[in-house]
Order: sequence, then structure tokens, then C-alpha cells
Amino acid sequence: MIEAKRKLGLIFFPAFDWAISPTHPEREERLLYTQDQLWEEGIFDIKGIVEYKPDIASEEDIKRTHFCIPNVAAVITQSHMISAGGAIKAARLVMEGNADRAFALVRPPGHHAMKVVHGNRGFCNINIEAVMIEYIREHYGHRRIAIVDTDCHHGDGTQDIYWHDPNVLYISLHQDGRTLYPGSGFLDELGGPNALGKTINIPLPPMTSSEGFLYVIDNAVLPILEMFQPDIVINSAGQDNHYTDPITNMNFSAQGYAILNDKLNPHIAVLEGGYSIQGALPYVNLGIVLAMAGVDYSGVVEPDYHERAIRQDKSISEYIAKICDEAVRNYKRFHESFSHHRAIGQFQTRVKNIYYDTDGIREKQVESVMICDECAGVLKIETVSSVNPLSVGIEIPFAACSRCRDVGVKLFREAKESGKYAYAKFINRIDREYIDS
Amino acid sequence: MWLGLDVGGTHTDAVVVDENGIVATAKVVTDHANLIQSVQKAFEQIFRSYPSDEVKKKLKRINLSTTLSTNAIVEGKTENVGVIVSSGPGIHPSHFKIEQHYFPISGSIDHRGKEISKLNAEELRKAIDACKKDGIKVFSAVTKFSTRNPSHEEQIRDACADADFVTLGHRISGKLGFPRRIGTAYLNSAVWRLFNAFADAIEKNLVSMEIHCPVHILKADGGTIPLAEARKLPVESILSGPAASTMGISSLCRIAGDAVALDIGGTTTDISVFADGEPLIEPHGITVGKFPTLVRSLYTRSIGIGGDSAIVAIDGKVQVGPTRYGPSMAEGGDVPTLLDAMNYLKKISHGDVDLSVRGIERLAKEARISAKQLSLMAIDFAFTTIKEAVDALLKEVNEKPVYTIHEMIEGKVVQPTSVYAMGGPSRAFLPLLEEKFALPVHVPNNYAVANAIGAALARTTYEIELHADTERGKLSIPNIGKFESCERNYSIENAKIDLINHLLSHLQSIGISITESDVQIVEASSFNIVSGFYTSGKNIRARAQVKPAVEITLYSRNNA
Ligand SMILES: [Zn+2]
Ligand SMILES: [Zn+2]
Repeated sequence: MIEAKRKLGLIFFPAFDWAISPTHPEREERLLYTQDQLWEEGIFDIKGIVEYKPDIASEEDIKRTHFCIPNVAAVITQSHMISAGGAIKAARLVMEGNADRAFALVRPPGHHAMKVVHGNRGFCNINIEAVMIEYIREHYGHRRIAIVDTDCHHGDGTQDIYWHDPNVLYISLHQDGRTLYPGSGFLDELGGPNALGKTINIPLPPMTSSEGFLYVIDNAVLPILEMFQPDIVINSAGQDNHYTDPITNMNFSAQGYAILNDKLNPHIAVLEGGYSIQGALPYVNLGIVLAMAGVDYSGVVEPDYHERAIRQDKSISEYIAKICDEAVRNYKRFHESFSHHRAIGQFQTRVKNIYYDTDGIREKQVESVMICDECAGVLKIETVSSVNPLSVGIEIPFAACSRCRDVGVKLFREAKESGKYAYAKFINRIDREYIDS
Repeated sequence: MWLGLDVGGTHTDAVVVDENGIVATAKVVTDHANLIQSVQKAFEQIFRSYPSDEVKKKLKRINLSTTLSTNAIVEGKTENVGVIVSSGPGIHPSHFKIEQHYFPISGSIDHRGKEISKLNAEELRKAIDACKKDGIKVFSAVTKFSTRNPSHEEQIRDACADADFVTLGHRISGKLGFPRRIGTAYLNSAVWRLFNAFADAIEKNLVSMEIHCPVHILKADGGTIPLAEARKLPVESILSGPAASTMGISSLCRIAGDAVALDIGGTTTDISVFADGEPLIEPHGITVGKFPTLVRSLYTRSIGIGGDSAIVAIDGKVQVGPTRYGPSMAEGGDVPTLLDAMNYLKKISHGDVDLSVRGIERLAKEARISAKQLSLMAIDFAFTTIKEAVDALLKEVNEKPVYTIHEMIEGKVVQPTSVYAMGGPSRAFLPLLEEKFALPVHVPNNYAVANAIGAALARTTYEIELHADTERGKLSIPNIGKFESCERNYSIENAKIDLINHLLSHLQSIGISITESDVQIVEASSFNIVSGFYTSGKNIRARAQVKPAVEITLYSRNNA
């Protein structure tokens, strides 16, 4: 009988009765062959690997993370509550010491869902990692958290949610936005005024193979994590970098994913994308499970794997080395000195145009954050979309300073009284007050 | 009239049951060197209380339960097996090495049953030669995903041409689980000769007594299979004891809704669970010794607390079990037991109460607590332990992972509304169980022999699993050896009909006649196979069973 070196909690929830549409990549059988492979391998007979049922997230779990317009119930379905609940269960297992590591192998995914939600974009409605992280902070206190997103698509939703948060480091490795949805995630996207350098993007050229990915882990991700010193490392474990994925152009492999996971050694992994349901997912998921449990994964090789056929070009290797240098330099610049001139107490504003590809919704946002040297800064987002009239969300962030709290309370009161907004949402993390009306 | 025969324990027990309940019983000390003689003696006892002509005429079936295979496995007294496995991408098969003659051969089949690489004939030949050199006569052939495509297992079997017996992994179960398949196939070959020698002797014995009714073997899932089938799958005979009790209680009591059944013995209490009146089946397979298997079993748990469990008092703490040093003091034992504590408190009046009182008082004095307190603590410990074990089992049942949103939201929660107790001390335990569980507790009249009744009355069970891949045009029902082609428009409805028909005709071919209403479709699902953005086929999975049931119920004659 095989024994796991690390106790692994596995939340496997394939949602066999849920799809965006019958031939959509995000459809019922996405994890069918993964389940076959995990069962045939006898994963759950490995001593130390235990399968758990997901929790079902509560409306409060969503309200503490997102501004849902018009409301939570209107933008989500039970499937989202269960996949977010799967991530929460993973976190609980680790936080409460029932597992050393946990993997939420759940769907639907979440990393394209932003702070404000009008509908589904990039197959995501709510950001299940963010819902999980906010659950962790709410229930287990102040934590320094790092998210390493290894999905092939830039996790623009997660980036948006943590853009201003100096205690959540978001690092994304993805196919260059000039060649793939959602078209963002460039080196110069580094976070808002209160959290500069806490967003790090590493856009990789098409045809990057295992060599390139592992180079990024060794030469950018791990050095940056070492400097950031997180309490918890979370892997958004998208699997669409695989050489057989039908909607991307990368050349990563199951062995590569397993080695990446081994090097990164995340406390919690959450499945994101990955749409090669027969050729990649069964092997990549198996590799990640074994790596997280500390079990020999050297035999996990796709049947059609030919190292030579997907080896990356030398020019790609050189390009990636340059990108990594720059990413590390960017992080260091703000890590070592954060003394650039900032007008404390002033608001900084950005305007965003957001497209929801799945639902065909267009949204326009004006986002203002108060510059603060003590916390993530009170946040105000005015939003209007093709499906909802002008609305507003005010957030007093987790561990906010007293000034930001007071300003937030005042802003929300003013917003309500102004009569300008169809919906006014309030996230008050200090007083645990979440208004979804 | 049905006869249950339990061979191989300390005693060989026989019980004859008809519509009126138990009509004859026998109990003889087992002579392990001569099991057959023990069986013969048991029959002689039966014939003393019931005319042998009548028995021979009316007997519809003999259900045999035996610990022969289980004991051989647990004691490691089994035959050496040549285990030949292939693998494929994934955990390396060397991790599943189960015995000395274990040979991974290159070659692989993927999750859809496609051959990825051929089985290496040269490696196979070398493996078989190595086994032959060591005098190996029985083999097991197991390959990954053989339930989807058995060709590699068949090639291995063909290469073992002069073996006495070869177990093919896919014939054990349609379930996935390569390591369990290896373990189960290994055990099957390891006990094959032993079991068949036993079956030969039993059959000869019955012929000499002119008993000609069918003989079945009792299984851990509360059902039976014909002896001829068990000769090919002797591993199915393991650990059938707890299931016999569960089936006994379902004959003796009208169980509707959710319930817990407790079989309380001298040293252990076996727990099983009923949902909507039916015993729950364990989802993966039973574990015997150190081997997790694919052998279907009822959901049962055993804990080390029974009437004869010894009371231990250390540092003001009182424990009961799991050790048994002998019978209770009331029955002449040397160490006070749970029953003695109950005697002391006058909860029961069992055997020689004075002896109980003396024993409890002596132990209490040693432990420097009052005899009353000692007894109360012992009883509380025992019943709390039982209750906690039941709660843990129910938690496990209710937290069983599910894979659809529907089951997640609407899924059944098992919430027992009554408890059924059987076994020797159960009548004595009744009030305490009621107090602990806060539920009505039923103890049937024949509570002490419920397991024998269950063994006699258990019916045939069977489970088959269908997998169809309409893009590849392949259909399989592995454990009955059906591997056929299927049409592109094959549907989930076709699959359900096929399952029922194949199950009925397979059972007919092994001499079991049942009707369509005995067959239950347990699950059925159909998934699209999409190539590019077009649906190119369907992947259909469905499972059918003949569920555990008893020939007749006796509860109309029972108080429970
Ligand atoms: Zn993706
Ligand atoms: Zn502040």
C-alpha cells in the first residue's frame, strides 16, 4: 500500500449535470476521464489521500467578496455555490489541520470573475479562489497570501480583486495577452497605488514548453515568494497550458505540471481551466494529486507524449529569461522601497471597460481607491452595464484602518442618499456588514 | 425449506428454516483437519430432530458460509501465485507488488479502452518461465483499464496455457481500481485450490447423503452465488459473517425507512445500516487482512465491545473491551465483564448474579471506587463507544462524495428512526440502547440465531456494469465477459434494457431464475463525446443489480 508523505484532502466535484452549453468546453464530462483515471489508479486507497464532499458556499461568502449586480442570487447558480464551497472546504481542511495540503478539483472555474459581477465572463461567474481567500481571512485572521495562477489565460478577475491589496500577492503565468483571451496581463500591470508590485504578470510566448514554465518557477516565482514571505500559497491550477489543449497554444505536459507543483508546494490548489478533457486532464490532474501528496509521479506521462516534438525554441528560452529578470526587478523595486510620493487620503481613479464574452455583456466602471499607507484603502466602484443601470459598490477592505473605515461608512451613506444608483452594495469587513440591495 | 450451513469457525452450525421459522438446528465442534466430517455430523443432528426424507424432499437450497478462504488469507496460508500485470501512464505498478512472483509487463490501454502500446510478448514469456521454474501453477492477469478492453489480460491467460487456473482481472468486477483489481485477482487465485478442494468434498458429501438441492455460497454483500460460480470466484466467499446477521434481521423484522442494526456478540458488535428498508452496500469493496478488494460487501463496521468484553479500571478511568479473557463471571469466568456490571446494577439477571457481584466488588476495591460507580462507568463507556461508532458510520455514509449538483442539493441523508438488535446479549442491552440512542430499539424473538436465519434465507445477488462508447462503437459488461460492438445511435435507454436482459440471461445460464422486477438499475448516465465543436458520440455508463433480499420474511410470527 502506498503512503502519502503529506496528508492530502481532495475535493472532487465534477458537476456531471452542469454545462454552459452541450458542446461548450465547460461541459458535463469535463472531469469524466479524470475521474476514470483517478479511480483506476486507486488514488483514494493511498494512505493519506482522502476524498471530501464540497461545502456549499453561503450567500454571505459571496457578498463579502463581490459586488453582484443586481444581486447574488441573480448572477449565480447552485453550481457556483458548490465549486466555491469546494474551495472553501479545501481551505478549511488545511486551516483546521485535517490535511497538510488540499486540492479543490471542482468546476465551474472562477479566475476571470472580477470584483463587480454582472454575469459570466471567461466561463466564470464568481471568483472561487477569492471567495476562499476572503473566507480564510474572515475565519482564521490576518494572513499574507500568495496566489500563483498557472492557467494559460491571464487571471484578470483575480488580478482585479486583489489589485489594491498589499497583503495578497498575485503572480500569473500565462500565454501572452496579444495572442489569447482576455488580452491582458502584461509586465507593467503591477497593482494599484496601495499595492504596487503585489501584482506580477509573466506573459509567455506561444509554444512555451516545460523547460520554459519550470524556468519561470525557479527564476521568478520562487525568488519573489521568498521575498514576499506568504503564510499561505495558493495555486490556481489551470491546465490549459497543455500541448493538447484545444483553445490555447502552449506546450506544457503532465510531468511538467507535476514538477511545477512539486517546486511550488502550494498549501491549496484550485482547478481553473483546462479543456483537453481526454488527452490532458486525466494525466495532469493525476500528476498534481501525486505531487501534492508527495507520492512518486514519475510514471505520469501522456500516451502521446514526445518530448522532442514539443521542445521549445532557443529564442523562446532567451525571451523568457528576459521576462523573468524584469518581473523580479519589478517586484524588488517596490518591495525594497515604497517611498515614492503618494498623496495619502486622496482618491486615485481608473476607468475600466469590461466585456463578458460568455454572456455578451458590456460594462463600464469608474473605480476610486483612497491612497492609504496603513491598509488596502477604501474602494468605490461605480458601474453601469448593458444589462444593469448605474450602480455602486463601496468596500471597507479587510483589516482596514480606522480612517478608511470611517470614510467608507460615509461614502456608502452618501451613495444611498444621492438617489443616483439603482443598486448600492456595501462590503464592510471591519463591522462584518454586507449589504446586497 | 432452506438450510444455512456455517462451516469453519469454532463450531459448524446448521439451521433449517421454512415458512414457520426455524425447524431444526445443529451445532458441532469443527474438526479443522476434517471439515467434511463436521458437516456430516451437523446433518446427522438435523436429521435427529427432523426426518431426513422430509428434509431431502423439501429442501430448496443450501447456503454455505465458510471462513475457509478468509482464514487462509489472514493467516497467510495460501498458494503462491504468478501475478502478471501491465500498466500504462500513472503510478508505477511496482508500487503494487503483492507477492514474490509479480511481473509488470510493458503495454498499455487508456481510459477509453484504446490500446496505446502492445503487450510485450518477450517480457511476458520470461515472466511465465520464471514462474514455472518455481513451480507456480496458478496465475492472475491484471491490466489497467481491462474493464474497457480485456485483450491484454486475455493474451496473458493464453500465454499461461498449462496453468491450473488463471484469474482475469476484468471478470471480478466492472469497477475501476487497478490496485484493488490486482489484490482481488491475486487472492482469488491464491485460495482457488483450497476452495475447490472444499467444494469437491462438500458436493461428494451431499451426494452420499442423497441431498440433491442446489448449493450456494454466501457472500459479504448479503447474497449468494451458486457453488459452481464460486469455484471460479472463490474470493467472493470472504467475510460473509456480518452480512448474514444483517440479512437475518431483515427477515425477522419489518424494517421500513432508515435504521441501524446491531449484532451484539461476546466480543464484538457489528453495525450495519438500512436506508429506506434496504441494507446499504459499501461503495468500493471489502478489505480483508491488508488487502483492499473489489469484493462487494454490505456497509458494516465491527467494534470490540460485546457482553464478555473485560472491564479494565486504571487511574479512575474505566474501559470495556476490546479484550475478552473468557466468559462473564456470571458464567464462571475469571474477569468481570460488561454483563457482570449489568448484573451488579440489576439491569439484568444473567447466570449466577452473586458471582458477578463478587467480581465487580473486587475490581472496584482494587480501583478504589465504589462498585456501583465502577459498573455505571463501565456501562456508560460501552454504550457510548457503540453510539459513537454508529454516529461515525452514519457520518461516513452521509458524507460520501457525490458528483452531481442534483445529488449535492437533493441527496438522501440517512437518518435512522429505529435500532434493531440481535445476538446473545441484545435483550439485556435493550433498555440501555434505547436510552443511549433515544430511538425505539427492537429485538426479535429469535435474536440469538438471527445470523443463521440470514444465512439460510439469503438470495442470489449480482451486479453488472455497462460501459458504452458510441464513437468507438464498443460496449462492455466486463464481469460477465460481454464485449460487443454497439451502434452510433445507442442510447442510455438501450443500455438499461441491455443491462436487464444480459443480467437475466446470465443468471439463467448459471441456474438462477429471477424476474425482471428483481433487477434494479442503480445508476445510468450518458455524456457527450465532443470532437472539435461537434458531438461525435456518447459515453454511457450504467449499472444494474439484483439487490440483497431474503427468500421469506418471518416477522409476522415475531414480536418485532
Ligand atoms: Zn484558462
Ligand atoms: Zn486605510
